[in-house]
This record gives sequence, C-alpha cells and structure tokens, in this order.
Amino acid sequence: MNDTLLLIGRSLRNTMREPLTVLPNIAISVFFLFVYNSGLSSVAELPGFQGTYLGFILPVAIVSAAVGGAGLAGQTLIKDIDNGYFTKLLLTPTRRLSVIWGPMIASAIVLTAQVVLVMLIALALGLKVAAGPAGFALVVVLAFLWGMAFAGYAAFMALKTKNAAAAQAATFAFFPLIFLSYTFVPKEYVTAGWLKVAATINPTTYVFESMRSLLNTGWDGTALAVGFAVTFGFATLTGIMALWAARGATKLS
Amino acid sequence: MSRPEEADRSITAEALRRDFGELHAVDGVDLEIPGGQIFGFLGPNGAGKSTLVKILTTILNATSGRATVAGFDVARQGGRVREAIGVALQDVGLDPLMTARELLMLQAELFGTSRDEARKTAERLLVTVGLDDVDPKKRAGAYSGGMKRRLDLALALVHDPRVLFLDEPTTGLDPASRAAIWEEVRRLNDDLGMTIFLTTQYLEEADRLADQVAIINRGKIVAQGTPEELKRQVGDEVVELQFDSSADAERAHDALAPVAPNRQRSNRQLRLYFGRAAENVPELVRTLDGAGIRLQGLTIEQPSLDDVFLRVTGEALEHEIGEGAEDVEADAEVRS
Repeated sequence: MNDTLLLIGRSLRNTMREPLTVLPNIAISVFFLFVYNSGLSSVAELPGFQGTYLGFILPVAIVSAAVGGAGLAGQTLIKDIDNGYFTKLLLTPTRRLSVIWGPMIASAIVLTAQVVLVMLIALALGLKVAAGPAGFALVVVLAFLWGMAFAGYAAFMALKTKNAAAAQAATFAFFPLIFLSYTFVPKEYVTAGWLKVAATINPTTYVFESMRSLLNTGWDGTALAVGFAVTFGFATLTGIMALWAARGATKLS
Repeated sequence: MSRPEEADRSITAEALRRDFGELHAVDGVDLEIPGGQIFGFLGPNGAGKSTLVKILTTILNATSGRATVAGFDVARQGGRVREAIGVALQDVGLDPLMTARELLMLQAELFGTSRDEARKTAERLLVTVGLDDVDPKKRAGAYSGGMKRRLDLALALVHDPRVLFLDEPTTGLDPASRAAIWEEVRRLNDDLGMTIFLTTQYLEEADRLADQVAIINRGKIVAQGTPEELKRQVGDEVVELQFDSSADAERAHDALAPVAPNRQRSNRQLRLYFGRAAENVPELVRTLDGAGIRLQGLTIEQPSLDDVFLRVTGEALEHEIGEGAEDVEADAEVRS
C-alpha cells in the first residue's frame, strides 16, 4: 500500500506543476454550468419539472469534468512509458499494480477536486441540495467512482496503444455519451425515439438521474441504487481491462 | 560499508535465448560470472547486449534457457532479483518534472527505505555522482545529457545493490563525463565489492575497467576471457602500416602474405600480428619496396580489443575504426 501512496503523491505533485493539464477541463465544466443554466433555465418552468434547472444541469458539468479529468491517468502513464520512467519503476520491487494504480487514483482525486470546485460554484449561483450535505457528499462520491471508471479506461487505452494521441482520442470518444442522454431536458419532454433508446442503454443516464435525485428531489433509493450499481459495474469492468493491459505492459515485448 | 561477502553476487546464464519473430536477438548465451567482478559485455549496435540486460534484470522474458542473478532465478524470482540489483539502462529513465532529490528519495522509499533514511541517501548519492552543487529546484528535464546519466546511475545505487547493470553508461557522453563514470564504476567495485555487468561499444572502456570480457555478435558470444587473454589470441605485438589509399593497402595485403600470414586490413591500414614485431620490420619494408608500394607510416603497438573484435567477428566497431568501417576485410588467413 505504501508504494501506491508514494506513487499517488508523485502524480499529484506533478499535476500541480503542470496546471494546464487540468485547467481547460475545469473551464469546460464551468462553461457548461453557466451557459446551459442561463440559456435553458426556462425548462424549469415546464409543468411537472421538479427542483431547479441548476440542480438538473449540474450533473452534466460534473460528469464532463470526470470524463475529461480521467484522461490524466492515461497521459501520465504514456509520459512515463515515453521517458523511460515506467521501466525504471518496473525495476524496483514495487508491485506492478501500484505502478498503474498510482496515476489512476491520483487522476480520480484530481477530478474529484474539480467536481467539488464546480459544485461550490453552483452553490454560489444559488443551488440548494435537496438531500442536504450528505447528498452533496454522495454526489462527490459518485463523481469519484465515475472518474475511476474512466481512469481505468484511459489507463487501458494508454497501456494498449502506448500512444498519447490515440489514448486522448479514445477518451474524447466518450464525450458523446454525455449528450446521448436526457442531458438538457427531463425524459418526459424527449420525443425522439432513437434518443430514448440511446439514453436507456447509456450508463451516463443513470449517473445523471441518481445525482439529480440528490440535488433536486431528495433521497430516492431506487435512483441511487441503480446509479451506484451502474457506476460500480462500469468501474469494475474498466478496472479489469486496465489490469489485463497492465499484465502485458509490465513485460517489454 | 562492509562488503556483502556472504551474499551471492554472481550472474549465470544457460542456453539463454530470446527471439523476436525470426530474429534471434540472444541466441544460446552461456555465462558464469563470479561475484565481485567487473564484466564487460562488448558488441556493436544490435548485437543483443541490451536484450540480454533486459532479460537478466527481469523486464523481458527469455524465449528459452535459464538465468540467475544474485542467486535468484530471473524468471521465477523476479522480485528477489530486483531487490538485489541496480540498473541504469541505455535510455535513462527520469521523470522530467521531478528534481534529483525527489527522484532519489522516491526511488529509495520504493526500495523500502524510511523517509529520513531516503533523504540521507539522496544527499549522499548526489555528492557521489557530483550533482550536489546543482540548484535543488532544477528539474531533471532541464539537466544536460551527462547530468541525466549521472542521476540515473545514482538512482541505480539507492539500495546498495549487490549486482549493478550498466547498459552503455557512457555512450554519447563527453570525455570528462565518461572519465567520471569510469572512476565511479571502479570505486563501486573496489570499495563495495559490487559485481558490475557493463555493456559497451567502447573497446577502451572494456579494456580499462573489465576483469573479464565477452564479445557478443548477432546474439552469440564469440569470445570470452580476460582482456589480456583475448589480446594474446591475436599475437603479442602488432605492426600497423598506413598507406596513401585503400588500393595500396589491398596490394600490400596480398604482397605481405608470405611475410605476415596473420594480418587484417581496414581501409588504408594494415595490421600485422607477430610474436616479436621489430625482427620482422626490415623484411616488411623490403617486400613493400620491391612491390613498389609507398608506405606512409609504421607503428608497433600492443594488440587492442579492437583486434580481437575484428578477428572474432570479421567486422570492426565503426566508431573505433573510423571512416570506411564497412570497407573492413578480415583476412581469411588469420589463425583461428
């Protein structure tokens, strides 16, 4: 465990030394929050809409921060492979998993900090969290897990391709998932059949719904259970993919 | 610091082989290196040196065969091997965003050292490799090539390894940095009894540092012994003749066959191997004069590992021989 902590610390310190690796991602999330909240807030006046539009659109900004921030894990691994430091770490008695887990967990911590920042901005804009401080904390936990899921995917792509551009492109490929869902209006107002099908099979939908329940309507056991199950399932899947890729990458070929 | 007399510091390999598709990068290598030696592993680019180092340091699997380092099997006891060895690969492995102290401390802690101890180790090694006067805030990415190489060597030493692998540690360095690395390698071996496995393209490096030398070519070990033993194989003394052109050198090569059966041509030079060189010089000069070949220069010297390399591989190391290395011809009459 100690070697994992050491490598998490190293990745976090490096991130602070290169703030430009995270600032654009924060800017995009805040951009989503301001633009959609001010441009589409009249959606909240539709009959049957519960809560505020700020509470409805905030999960979009959070998930966007999580997906973008997760790419950091892949970037760190690729930089390490390129500059030979990955091999240097493999030549220590450090467990192979720690070499992969260090950047993955560090990336999830960084994106959690971004999520908290975005949520604090939302509070400053007048957000009232329906489920209270515990609900606020659960949204952060969901974002962390969702980030870990994407960090696993980013690590998998980095270790398989060993190519920075390919890994970055693979991460961006997941951005459409944010929009193939009930992103801007509740599902009752979506008429396109294809979008309903896409939203139903898109795991992001269930993350949005669980976060929205906490922010806008209060404690909803079903939405939370589904949201956490989907997040855990996705994180487990990508975690296994990353470990599988790591087994191959920790021996040179 | 006491020598780890009781600890195994040997390196062995039996029929070690690594294939990359059709290419046999390492092709049936056998090694028996006792602890406490500096072992020079000599060969041109692509001969299989780095592949062998990667297998012995556990980061590459062998296709077949067996190897042990410090008494542990590299395939089955990789963790134990890594605890016992220090490695500085040909391509340095540094995180460019970290400072030298941070890199050294992290490396020491990953080897299980406490934070306080890691700090002391970092300071000690910075002095050892001559980087203690560098701005502590300077990140490794801003270091020169020589400084990076020295920092990489320091990283390999944080846990006082029993066996140290140095893969072409001085390639691309200026003469001063090269001399500093040589001095440090010699000190580590003398003071700590560390076994040092050193791959190099530089004959002079192997000659000056190594107790034993192996020459690898196309994945196979083609000669092995002390530098002196290897040099004796080609003769006790060498007469080097220089000519105006490679055509003259070739004519001289043919003309001198009866006088010097043991000879090699390299571009505009001819190297002739004798038991006692001086006795043969008058006859050499007469023969060349008789054939109308103008001699530009003549020197008598001791054989070098270059001569050994040329004899056993039929090729010269390009940077040592200089221009026209591809023009080198190993004489078929050189005794085997």
